[in-house]
Amino acid sequence: MELLPQALIDGILLGGIYITIAVAFSLTYGVMHVIDFAVGEWIMFGAFAGYYLNKLTGLDPFILLPAVFLIFALVGYLVQPVIHRVMSGNRGNPLLMGLVFTFALALMFQGVALTVFGFYTNSIPSTFSEGSILIEKLGLSMTIPTIRLAGLCYALGITAMLHYLLKKTTFGLGVRALAQHKDAAGLMGVNGKRTGAYVYAIYVGISAMTGVLIGCIFSVSAQMGAQYTIFAFFVVVLAGMGYLAGVPWAALLLGMVQSIFLIYFDPGHTLLAVFAILYTILLISPKGLFGRGV
Amino acid sequence: MKSRIRTALAVIASTLLATAAYAEEARNFFKVGVVTELSGDLATGGNVTKRGYDLWAQEVNAKGGIDIKGKKYQVKLFYADAQSNPAAGASAAERLITQEKVDFILGPYSSGVTLAVAPITEKYKIPMITGSAESPLIWTNKFYYTFGTVPPVNFTGAAPIKTLSEMKPAPKTAVILGTNDTFSKATAEAFKAAAEAAKIKILKFNIVPAGQDLTPLLSAVRGMKPDLIAFGGHDEELIKLVKALRQINYTPKALLMHYGVTEPAFIQSLGKDAEQVLGASVWTAAVQTKGKILWPNAASYAVAAEKAFKTPADYTQAGSSAAGIAFQAALQKIGATPGMSEDQRKKLVKALEEIDVETFYGKIKFATSGQYYHANVGMTPLTIQIQNGKVVAVGPVKNQEAKPQYPMKEWKNR
Repeated sequence: MELLPQALIDGILLGGIYITIAVAFSLTYGVMHVIDFAVGEWIMFGAFAGYYLNKLTGLDPFILLPAVFLIFALVGYLVQPVIHRVMSGNRGNPLLMGLVFTFALALMFQGVALTVFGFYTNSIPSTFSEGSILIEKLGLSMTIPTIRLAGLCYALGITAMLHYLLKKTTFGLGVRALAQHKDAAGLMGVNGKRTGAYVYAIYVGISAMTGVLIGCIFSVSAQMGAQYTIFAFFVVVLAGMGYLAGVPWAALLLGMVQSIFLIYFDPGHTLLAVFAILYTILLISPKGLFGRGV
Repeated sequence: MKSRIRTALAVIASTLLATAAYAEEARNFFKVGVVTELSGDLATGGNVTKRGYDLWAQEVNAKGGIDIKGKKYQVKLFYADAQSNPAAGASAAERLITQEKVDFILGPYSSGVTLAVAPITEKYKIPMITGSAESPLIWTNKFYYTFGTVPPVNFTGAAPIKTLSEMKPAPKTAVILGTNDTFSKATAEAFKAAAEAAKIKILKFNIVPAGQDLTPLLSAVRGMKPDLIAFGGHDEELIKLVKALRQINYTPKALLMHYGVTEPAFIQSLGKDAEQVLGASVWTAAVQTKGKILWPNAASYAVAAEKAFKTPADYTQAGSSAAGIAFQAALQKIGATPGMSEDQRKKLVKALEEIDVETFYGKIKFATSGQYYHANVGMTPLTIQIQNGKVVAVGPVKNQEAKPQYPMKEWKNR
């Protein structure tokens, strides 16, 4: 029983990482209806950007986050029209088109990364990754790695910022209108194309920053993307496709399940437990945890 | 119009066929198929084997080729990417055999892919030597056409545990973890068996899925305060494990891993945190060997590798080059020429079974019976440790390049 507080803390911290992976992914789906299979690759490119910028400037990766965001937001802004083109016009099943397109994008990105960055695994050094907070009180012993705590703060910050953007600004109103009804939003004067491009830019920027964070906590390599795509997908499906407010809860739930299962049950079957819970929840509530997904 | 297109296509097709047939007849080089992991999760290790195979081919060709009864035949490598996926590896091997018609095969980096490729080479009766795969499962399957230059992990894995048990005070408790793939699982099991034999109490033994965040598990392990943490996994997972231990700030007395520790990326990405990590190996640049074919000793191979790839060679790369040398020695022995018949390939297997050759890598002698069937058992397992950013042998005593550093220095005092 003395391990329970530690398990809970680890679960929350792990959930924090999942929030950062999934929150922007959910936003893009909600607005553009793109299931972006390249999310892991944006994370990977962001991680490499952090790695090289850190090498070049010697600055802590956390200071570099805004720079990484700006670079990748620009990239996202330039890529979005291509996706928009693939998914609009007189094409049957735009959802599938988007899926296939981003899947191909992901494969291409993996190949490019392997060629350009090489096949070695790297790591981004950060002052935060060195320490941990040790709490020893009432016979309980808990460690909180500072880097993960920083990651959780980052996740909550991003979520709060997105919430503010969507709920309190005119731009956010446009985004929400677009998510509800594309044609009606257009008639009300929302420029669907441009708003979509902004949303995609924000998404790519956030994913790239997440990459830097993951590079600090875990590692950086050309083949790292796929596993994060899967987790982003898990969280978003569990939260309800496109239901942004559900993401933090779904992410925390997944983190908690993993952490508790790793400590109390057989670590070999953690992913099985995650799948089983996902399946059960979707069986009971096909639209995600809160029944609010698309 | 249609018939004209059809005629044109027919002409093109027949020209292509004629060229192919011509190339087949005029072949004066050995077609060597290579199936390895050039992309996917295991791309790092796959590309290390590629370096080893490339360096062998380059060196053979620089010397004019393989000398068969006074005539020299060059070697050409034909790569097929296994994509770190056993099924993709099997179909890649099938393509190399049926379409490229390779004479023999240099095998994959990982045990999982090797186990998928071996039945294919068995089916088409094509000899294969893997310069890397280490799972004991490959050898207990007794594939007639499959050989390996790196001894299985149950042969090598005991060495570091033995070195540790000679320390004063020796570690008394251990937590052993492994990732759920063929090689990593076998490594963890080998560590477990060796630790039990050395009377080290095992507090926890778990096989975990790849890509799993181990921090929560290690937080629990931290409470057990084990003297030794041993882990079976590939390069990326090892880096993550060290980082996780660093993050929860637990330093065991000894941290033992296996493959991946010797890869330059491990030291580069972890820096001072890579120091004093222990591993098992069969080769370092400093081992005393006397080679008769290509390179005279380990040091000269290390220099050639550094020159070619600007990065130090590890035992997997050396084992891969040695796989080429083993084929070379066997081909010379039976005097086989390119475009080998099934009968000649059978003779090649017999010759491989009989070779007992000293190389820069060490002695190559494949077992012909028992649990190590067709694995190389001519080597001495070494305990290695990272000291001052270099991989050095710290055990057994007669092979020592430096004394083992034990217990590990606390993370925060580095």
